[in-house]
Amino acid sequence: MALKQISSNKCFGGLQKVFEHDSVELNCKMKFAIYLPPKAETGKCPALYWLSGLTCTEQNFISKSGYHQAASEHGLVVIAPDTSPRGCNIKGEDDSWDFGTGAGFYVDATEDPWKTNYRMYSYVTQELPQLINANFPVDPQRMSVFGHSMGGHGALICALKNPGKYKSVSAFAPICNPVLCPWGKKAFSGYLGLDQGKWKAYDATHLVQSYPDSQLDILIDQGKDDQFLSDGQLLPDNFIAACTEKKIPVVFRLQEGYDHSYYFIATFITDHIRHHAKYLNA
Amino acid sequence: MDLYDSEDRLQIFPEGNTRMRREVVQGLEDDHELGDEFVGENTLRAGVSEYPPYVMKRRESAREQRDWRFGGEATEAEDLSFGGWGSRGQCQDLREAYRYTRGRSSEEYECYVIPEEEDEEEAPDIFCVTCKTPIRACEKVLDEHKGHEVTPLDKALENAKDEIHKNMFKLERQIIEMENFASHLEEVFITVEENFGRQEQNFESHYNEILETLAQKYEEKIQALGEKKKEKLQALYGQLVSCGENLETCKELMETVEEMCHEEKVDFIKDAVIMADSNRLGKFLKTKTDVELSTQPDFEDQNLDFSDVEQLMDSINIIPAPSAPVINPQAPNSATGSSVRVCWSLYSDDTVESYQLSCRPVRDGSPQEDQAAFTVTVKETYCSVTNLVPNTQYEFWVTAQNRAGTSPASECAMYMTAPSPPIIKIKEIRSCEEAALICWESGNLNPVDSYTVELTQAETPEASGVTESVVGIPTCESLVQLQPRQSYTIYVRALNVGGPSARSKPAVVHTTGSYFHLNKDTCHPWLTISEDGYTVVRSERKAAAREQLPSNTQFTRCVAVMGNLIPVQGRHYWEVEVDDCLDYSVGVAFEDVPKQEDLGANCHSWCMRHTCASSRHKYEFLHNKMTPDIRVTVAPRKIGVLLDYENSKLSFFNVDISQHLYTFSCQLHRFVHPCFSLEKPGCLKIHNGISMPLHVADY
Repeated sequence: MALKQISSNKCFGGLQKVFEHDSVELNCKMKFAIYLPPKAETGKCPALYWLSGLTCTEQNFISKSGYHQAASEHGLVVIAPDTSPRGCNIKGEDDSWDFGTGAGFYVDATEDPWKTNYRMYSYVTQELPQLINANFPVDPQRMSVFGHSMGGHGALICALKNPGKYKSVSAFAPICNPVLCPWGKKAFSGYLGLDQGKWKAYDATHLVQSYPDSQLDILIDQGKDDQFLSDGQLLPDNFIAACTEKKIPVVFRLQEGYDHSYYFIATFITDHIRHHAKYLNA
Repeated sequence: MDLYDSEDRLQIFPEGNTRMRREVVQGLEDDHELGDEFVGENTLRAGVSEYPPYVMKRRESAREQRDWRFGGEATEAEDLSFGGWGSRGQCQDLREAYRYTRGRSSEEYECYVIPEEEDEEEAPDIFCVTCKTPIRACEKVLDEHKGHEVTPLDKALENAKDEIHKNMFKLERQIIEMENFASHLEEVFITVEENFGRQEQNFESHYNEILETLAQKYEEKIQALGEKKKEKLQALYGQLVSCGENLETCKELMETVEEMCHEEKVDFIKDAVIMADSNRLGKFLKTKTDVELSTQPDFEDQNLDFSDVEQLMDSINIIPAPSAPVINPQAPNSATGSSVRVCWSLYSDDTVESYQLSCRPVRDGSPQEDQAAFTVTVKETYCSVTNLVPNTQYEFWVTAQNRAGTSPASECAMYMTAPSPPIIKIKEIRSCEEAALICWESGNLNPVDSYTVELTQAETPEASGVTESVVGIPTCESLVQLQPRQSYTIYVRALNVGGPSARSKPAVVHTTGSYFHLNKDTCHPWLTISEDGYTVVRSERKAAAREQLPSNTQFTRCVAVMGNLIPVQGRHYWEVEVDDCLDYSVGVAFEDVPKQEDLGANCHSWCMRHTCASSRHKYEFLHNKMTPDIRVTVAPRKIGVLLDYENSKLSFFNVDISQHLYTFSCQLHRFVHPCFSLEKPGCLKIHNGISMPLHVADY
C-alpha cells in the first residue's frame, strides 16, 4: 500500500496534501486528500472523515468548503476520499452523473458488474482508516465522520452501522431516506439488486430503528431553498421522525435561503468542525 | 573654657646636661613612656600625678637654656589658644599631630623643624627601639645602646607616622565627643537658667504675697490697737472729768461748811441743821465717790495669729497649680463602637497629681447644655472611655489638679465612636466566576464615612486564607473582583473618623458558576417563587380574567419572572430543569424589556421557547418575533444557558446529553438578566452555581 504524494500545500500553518494509492477494496488507484494541522507535527490528532456528494472528487471539499482554518485551530486531521472507484472500465459507469463514477453511494455492491470495484462502504470504513492510521499521526480511537448530500447519507450510515466507532456525526443536506428517493432507488437497485430488504442496511432512517441506545449527537444542516429537498431526494423529515421516536439526539437546522451548494457548506462548516471537535477533543 | 589649652597638654623639657632630650607629654590620652632615662627611677605612667611640680620647676631652667625652643612652643600654643575649640582648622589638627609626634619620639621631626639642631649634633641614622630614640650608627657600639634593638630610621619613621595617624584619628574622635558634650552642656546650662529663673519668679511672687499679707496684717493690728487706745483714753478722760466735778462739789460743800463755822452759834446751829437736813450734803455724802479705774492701763494680751502666714510660707516650696492641659484631637482608628481613647498633654513644668476628664454626647451636631454627662479621674494623660453609643460624637475636656489647686479646663475636643457593624444582605448577594456583588445595611442610624469589604479565601492547599480588603466604599454595595472556583468568606466594616466598626457577620460566596436571584418585583402575579427562591410555579387555576395594569417592572402579559444577574461582563452559565411537556420560555432580556410583551417578541429579549402540542415538541429560538427553523429530536429535561458577553452570544444546551441546541449572536450593549416564563401550569427549577461544563466551552 504505497502512498504517492500528488500535491502538498501549506494552509493555515498545516499542510493540505493529496495522495494516490492502490486500493485493495476498490481494485483501482484511488486519490484522497488529507489535511494535517500544525498540531500533527508534535502529536497524534483525531481524524475526521469527509464524504463528498454526487459527482465530486477529493478536490471539491478541499478547494470550496473553507474548512481549513477551523480544522487547524481544533487540531483535526481531515481526510476526504473520492466518491467512487475510477477508471475501472465497467460498462455504463460514466453513463449518468448519479450512478457509477462519482456516485458510489458508500455501499458495498453485490451486483455484477459493480461488486468487484464498487465497495465504497468497506473502503471508507475499513481500508482507508487503516491506511491513514498506519501512515499519518492520527489517534485511531478518535474518529468522526461527516458529509454532504450522498456523503451525508454515507456519514449517517457509517455512524449508525458502527455504534461507538465514530465519536460524532454530522451532515449537510444528507440523503436521509434513500430507499424512498429517486437517487437512492436507482443506485441501490443497481449496486444491491432489486431486493429492497437489502437496501435498508444502507438507509439511515431505517438504521435508526435498530440503533442501540448509545450516545451519538447528530447535527444536520439543511438549506431551505435546496431544490433537491423540494424534489424529495433528501427526506430529512423521515429521519427526524425516526430519531424522535428512538430518542436519537438530532439537531436539525433548516437554514433559510440556502441551497445545496458548497456556498451553503462553507457557511456552516465551522459549526460542524466545532461539533466534531467537541467530541473528538473531549 | 578652652579645652585645648596647650600648656596643660604639652610640656617639653630638654635636659641641659644630656645629649638626649627627655620630653614629657602630659595631659594627652595616652602617656607613652618617653625619655627612657627616667624609666629606671621614675615610671611615667605611675608617676604622672606627682610629676607636675617637678615639671614646673624644671621648666624654668628649660626656658633659660633653650629659649628659642620654648619661644617657638609658646607661639604655637598661643595660636592654638586663639583657634579655640570651636573653630579648629585642619592645619591645626596637623600641627597638633606634629607636635604630638615630636613630643613623643621623633627626633627627625625636630630636626626638620629646627635646623639648628644639626649644628649641634651629628644627624642620627638609626633608631634604637629599646630607648625609643634615634642614634647614630656609631653609638650602637657604645655601652648605652649595646645589645639594644635597632631599626633603620626610615622604618622607624614609617611606624611613627602610622602611630601619628592613629592618634590623629583618636583625637578627632575625641574632639567630636567633646564638641557634643560641650553643646550638651550648653543646653543644660540654658535649662538650668530657665528652671532657676522660673523658680526665682515663683519665690518672688510667693514672698511678695507673704509680705503683702504681713503688711496687711500689721495694718489691721495697728489700727485695732489705735482704736483700743482711743477707747481707753476716752473712758479715762470721762472718769477724770466726773472726778473733777465731784471735787468741785466737794470743795463747794467744804467752803459752805467752813463759812458756817465762822457764824454765830445760833446761826451756826440753824444752818448746821439746815445743812444736815438739806439733801445736798446728805446726798453728796451718800454718793459713793467712784475711785475705781474704769479702764486698765495695761495692754490686754492679744494673740497674734500667724497661721495664714505660716501657710503661705509653707506653700512657697509647692509648685503652683497646673495650667490647663492640652487635649489632643482624636487619633485615627483609636475608637471602637463603644469606646474612645482620649489623650491630652500637660505643660512640661506642671506637676499634676490627677486629671479629671469630662464628657458629654453631642446630638444634632450641637453640644447640649454645658453639663458633663460624666467625669472620671485618672492619673495618666489618657483614658479609654467605655460604654458609649456607636457612631456618636462626644465632647471631651480635661482639667489637671495638684495640691495647689485645679487648672482651668482644656479646650473641648470632639471624639467619635466607631460605627456599629453593617449587616450583609446575604439573600441579595450575586456572584459569578470573576466577581461578587455584595450589598449590606449600614447598621447605623447616622451616616458613616465609608465601608470596607474584607475577603478571606477559604483555606485550600493553594490559598492560605489571606485577607484582602476593599476600602473607601461610599455606598452600601460593592462589586469585588474574585478568583474563579473559590470560596470566600466576606465581612463588611463601617468606618468613620473614630475608626472601623467590628466585622459584620460573615457571608460566604462561591465563585463556581453564577448566582442570581429572582426579582419578585418583576414576577407575574400568577407565578409563585418557592421558599428557596429557585423554583417557579404556575398553579392549576382558572386564568384570572382581571386585566393587569401595564407596568414597567412587572410582567403583565407573559407569565414570567426576571432574575438579577450580577452586572459583570464575561461568561455566565445556569441551568433550568423543565418538564418535557411543559410550555416554557427561558432566555435573557434587558431590564427595561416591555413587560406586556412575550419574551422574544421584541429586540430586547432572546429566548428558547418550547411548546408541546399532541406530543409534538416545538422549539423556537425567538428574538424580535423571529426564530430559525430548528428541530430537536430529544426533548431536553435540563437546559443549559450560556450567556457570553465577550463573544456576544447566547447559547442553549441539552445538559443531559451535552447537546448544543442553538446559539444567538446578540448585540449585548447593556447588561441582560435571565428570564423564565411558564405558558402553562407547571414548574421549572433554576440551578445556580454550576461550573460551566467542558462541552459548552467552545460555543
